[in-house]
Amino acid sequence: MYESTNLDLFPYPFHNIKEGSNYRYSNDLRKLEKDHTNCVVITPEYEKQIKRKRELLKEQPAVRFQSYPHTMAMQWEVVEMLIEMAVDRYPEHFQVEKNGNHWTFHNYILNETESFIFGDASSIELEPLDLIGRHFTTDFVLMVHRDDNLYLEVAQESYAALFSPHWNKGMTFDEIHAPVPFVSRTGVPLAERVRNFLIRNVLPGEPWTRINWNLMANRWDVNYETFDTWGPTRFLVTPENAGDLVRLRVEEQFFYRMPRSNAILFVLNTQFLAMKDLVLRPEWLNQTYSILSDIPKPMAEYKGFSPFIEPTVEYLKNLVEKIEFQTN
Amino acid sequence: MVYSNPVLFDKSVTIVEKFTVRQDCRKILIISAEPKEADAIQQLIDEINGQTEYELIEFNDETQLSHVNEILDQQKMGTQLYISAKWEDAVSIFAAAIEAGFSEGEIQTLISGKKKRYVYCLKCYHLQEAAAEETDIVCDHCQISLEIGPFFSRERKGYIGYPYNPAFATTN
Ligand code: HEM
Ligand SMILES: [Zn+2]
Repeated sequence: MYESTNLDLFPYPFHNIKEGSNYRYSNDLRKLEKDHTNCVVITPEYEKQIKRKRELLKEQPAVRFQSYPHTMAMQWEVVEMLIEMAVDRYPEHFQVEKNGNHWTFHNYILNETESFIFGDASSIELEPLDLIGRHFTTDFVLMVHRDDNLYLEVAQESYAALFSPHWNKGMTFDEIHAPVPFVSRTGVPLAERVRNFLIRNVLPGEPWTRINWNLMANRWDVNYETFDTWGPTRFLVTPENAGDLVRLRVEEQFFYRMPRSNAILFVLNTQFLAMKDLVLRPEWLNQTYSILSDIPKPMAEYKGFSPFIEPTVEYLKNLVEKIEFQTN
Repeated sequence: MVYSNPVLFDKSVTIVEKFTVRQDCRKILIISAEPKEADAIQQLIDEINGQTEYELIEFNDETQLSHVNEILDQQKMGTQLYISAKWEDAVSIFAAAIEAGFSEGEIQTLISGKKKRYVYCLKCYHLQEAAAEETDIVCDHCQISLEIGPFFSRERKGYIGYPYNPAFATTN
């Protein structure tokens, strides 16, 4: 399991929710500030996560990576952007040498070197995004802008919950979100609205972000492909073991408009925090307890945690009371 | 074939119980691949009643069907297409029409006999047919139990089949 050990790097999902308020779906996109647009983050779990990501890609290539043959140029554009971001933020960990189109990318954390001819897919064994994606702990999706919609044309995914590149390949933004009870506090359908918002506001050099969250019961991988395996384990949670078994699973999401292809690159940084670790930040514990106590049924059903939300809330309630008792 | 093209599936907006004439078009093209539906075709022609130019093309066997691309490619803008066929033939005529540039709004499809419905197993990625009323099915490739969901993929040409463990099935 890959729990976040550096809480300063953990994207706590409810920062922007007013104290005492509950959680409902909304257009919660926020524009990234000018000097915080870099999505490359190296956490203490970097090496463990990369190892697991590469295992998953190797064991289940068709589950984890999907693309169309016509996407090569768009993929190279992403390679260039990610390398620039990595070198810019962590020059001690990443370097690139460019001799014309002959590029050499160094990853000093893993002591690895990738050499290729930029733009020439025959110079590498994997597809460009699949290759560069294996150096970063995030998932990557390219949504291509065609006739007023966004279509999923490339995806490398190992961590995000309920996300199947294989199933979602070729789908529009709206089709992808069809299973989500995606309505606002007042019941307004959100998918079309959010899609139009993305198309209009995610512009070159102006990336946006939002945070998605879920709970998972003793399981890293929660995709539809393996529902038969993890589905039943959700019933094992009790108020006694929820602290260890249940984790807050958070996806910090980034949206970049690619200047050449006009596609939107969707980046997901997935992090985990065990319920018991919420005590490390008592304000997080209190707010998470309050929010989880008031989740609409369709949302809990969709997110897949209805079998263990009750024991989890019970666990948090006991923890909150214990801490209040200790501090009084 | 462009991946974002619509495909014919059991809930396709183009499938009709009965053809209806749209008077605002320049031409009506009728492709009839099912002789049993001659009455429906005659009714359509009566309804057109000479108001709009129409062309009736009748296919009686496979070899003729292979000309369908050619015929569809030659059509002018503003042509409305009426397809009368059994499921498999309708699927290929529909795909050829989309390829030739027809939009779903320009097509009506009358299926003779049963519409087919397919389920895509998310465990082993195998596509199989399922009866219209079925909500659960066993994958005939990997034997897993599948709950048939309401979401359809053009890319996979079937409805989502969620693998589940029947020993732990819940009622909700
Ligand atoms: C453009 C890139 C995006 C892609 C590729 C994407 C993809 C997905 C996928 C695959 C799912 C899971 C669907 C399933 O269960 O089958 C999902 C869920 C969801 N998406 Fe998106 N999404 C994108 C952007 C957004 C944006 C901008 C928002 C909101 C402002 C959003 C809101 C949601 C919500 C609320 C859920 C339900 C998640 C939960 O409650 O756990 N998505 N998305
Ligand atoms: Zn199967």
